[in-house]
Amino acid sequence: MKRRQFLSLAGAALAAPAVTRVNAQSPATVRWWYHFDNPQATPGDLIAKFEKENPGIKVQAESIPWGGGNDYYTRLYAALIAGNGPDCAMVKLGNQARLVQMKALEPLEPMLANWAGKSDIADNLWAMNKASDGRQYYLPLQYVVLYLYYRVDLFAAAGVQPPKTFDEFLKAAQAVNKDGVAGFGMRGGGGGHDHWGTFVLGGGATFDKGGMVSPKALAANRWFVELGTKHKVFPASAPTDGFRQIIDNYKAGRAAMTIHHIGSANEMVQALGDKVSAVPVPRAADGKGWTSFGDESNAVFAASKVKDAAFKWISFLSTGANNVAFNTFTGQLPVTTSGAANWTLHPKRFVDASMQSLPVMGVLPDHPKTADFTRTVWPQNMQRALLGQIEPDAMMKAIEAHFHG
Amino acid sequence: MASAAGSRIREALRPYLFLAPAIVVTAAVIIVPALQTLWMSLHDYVLFRPDDVPFVGLGNFIRAFSDEIFWVSLVNSVIWIVACVGLQFLLGLGTAMLLNQSFWWRGVARMLVVIPWALPSVIIGLMWTWMYDLNLGVLNDMLLRSGLITTPVAWLARADTALPAVVLALIWQGFPFFAVMILAGLQSIPDEHYEAAEIDGATRWQQFRFVTLPALAGVIATALLLRIIWVANSLDVILVMTGGGPGFATHTLPLYAFLKAYSAMEFGYGAALALLLSALLLVVVAGYVRRTAREGLQ
Repeated sequence: MKRRQFLSLAGAALAAPAVTRVNAQSPATVRWWYHFDNPQATPGDLIAKFEKENPGIKVQAESIPWGGGNDYYTRLYAALIAGNGPDCAMVKLGNQARLVQMKALEPLEPMLANWAGKSDIADNLWAMNKASDGRQYYLPLQYVVLYLYYRVDLFAAAGVQPPKTFDEFLKAAQAVNKDGVAGFGMRGGGGGHDHWGTFVLGGGATFDKGGMVSPKALAANRWFVELGTKHKVFPASAPTDGFRQIIDNYKAGRAAMTIHHIGSANEMVQALGDKVSAVPVPRAADGKGWTSFGDESNAVFAASKVKDAAFKWISFLSTGANNVAFNTFTGQLPVTTSGAANWTLHPKRFVDASMQSLPVMGVLPDHPKTADFTRTVWPQNMQRALLGQIEPDAMMKAIEAHFHG
Repeated sequence: MASAAGSRIREALRPYLFLAPAIVVTAAVIIVPALQTLWMSLHDYVLFRPDDVPFVGLGNFIRAFSDEIFWVSLVNSVIWIVACVGLQFLLGLGTAMLLNQSFWWRGVARMLVVIPWALPSVIIGLMWTWMYDLNLGVLNDMLLRSGLITTPVAWLARADTALPAVVLALIWQGFPFFAVMILAGLQSIPDEHYEAAEIDGATRWQQFRFVTLPALAGVIATALLLRIIWVANSLDVILVMTGGGPGFATHTLPLYAFLKAYSAMEFGYGAALALLLSALLLVVVAGYVRRTAREGLQ
């Protein structure tokens, strides 16, 4: 076959399905933005299933680079403002306030009222995803809860139990902190506010006015900074360690504990087998605690011209078996009660640790400045405190000033 | 009469018509965005507050001058530019001199030297991040094995080593540019000059000092000016390796402007910071333009 002949044939073959489909019924096209940690995962099968069930709707799924969240949201904001945004997209709570302020979101209540799958999602998930104006813009899709990974073998050798309180945590960290193994693989780079939150928000700090500079909050933060500066149970690289560093160091046996969610469980087990297990994060002496609830929802945008079709697609993804299929390639947990009942993707001990952590789960405030807090304000001040460039109290004052001026 | 005047006007307009496509393209990709940046810098423009964009005049610029992080970033930028460009130049010069010697695998060596220049910055950033890693990095491993250090060093997490560590990565990336430019310059020096110098009794150093360097002056000046502009603007390697941390240890001006715009979404303040950087760079750009104009005349 001559090259030109081949090209024209190939072109015709590619064009054919599009032409027939347009002629058949000119479907509504739903543009959906998503991001998966695993670039090899694709929602292709789910889209094919959806399009088969809904012949009038075509889904154009666009994979957007995540970049710690910042790349994704910068693109999303810019696209929405430029009037070229998607019809619906995967979104997290930390950005809801900004999107509401931009008037970019479509309230979902009228569509949810007629959706059969609503009751299969637990009430506390609905409540947690409500916006500060009381409206429901987010349709839950998947979640993770952060818990404490610990090394079973190192704990046994040191004769300590997995910690339930902050005091026990310090004792355990000190007991296993030797021979090139850090007691706790702390994340001081981007995303590390989750580690800090467990001990400082759990220890009494809040995002309300004055909540970062209360005596209790300041004491909790001092205690946390001293884990690194005084007790030296963090690795020396902690100030700039990010997700990849804490996970890889843990897998390489360089840390005895770290905090992360079930998304890394299979990778950990592959490297360490039965030597790795998990428990809920430790709590303060008064029984209070905090652990990060890693949410992910879908939202429909107000500027969309195909809102009903967009809702059909996102509700499809949060329905029973589809939600389970979706979570098998994101590695997170299904939001449906029916899906959670038969979950087999992760070893049970990590699912249990996730479930047991739910009572203390929390989210960062629904505030336009939260995203900048996680990306720059927290890491910069945490790093300076860990390096002794500023006092721990100055760090808390900077966070207070960021939110309350 | 009228037709003579008309043809004169046409004559006068003709060059501009020929230039028009270039002017339109330049306007679209440079002038309009530059004016837009200027407009943003005069407003309190926050991306997630699109309905409320008050005019603040020079407020953003005044804010920069009283902003501690702006000054830290400026000082870091100066260190960054001087160290990166200066050492890239010296390493590039040495490499070019070596590659100008004749040895049997010179062709392969010249090809290998260009590799760092050809790699994407993000790859370079990730590669060096892992080389510097506390536990798994090859640098600590080699230093420990050779007995130069007794405990691994967290190169990127210490305030005193983070900036030098990132500078080293950028030197590695950028020296091939100088090597290739200078090598081309070296090859254009006629052998007769060296022969004449030798007959006059010049030593190797004197040959380098009075024949090689003057002949290379033009190439070196152009390469230095270009590289200063590029290095001053570059933030990708820093962003990947440290994100500006720990603390503000590796904050440079373009990085700070980038974070203000894309993390805090303060496009107004970010634009003002970017314009301040541009104003500083204009001095260098003016030097470059004058050079190329002079070269064009010669």
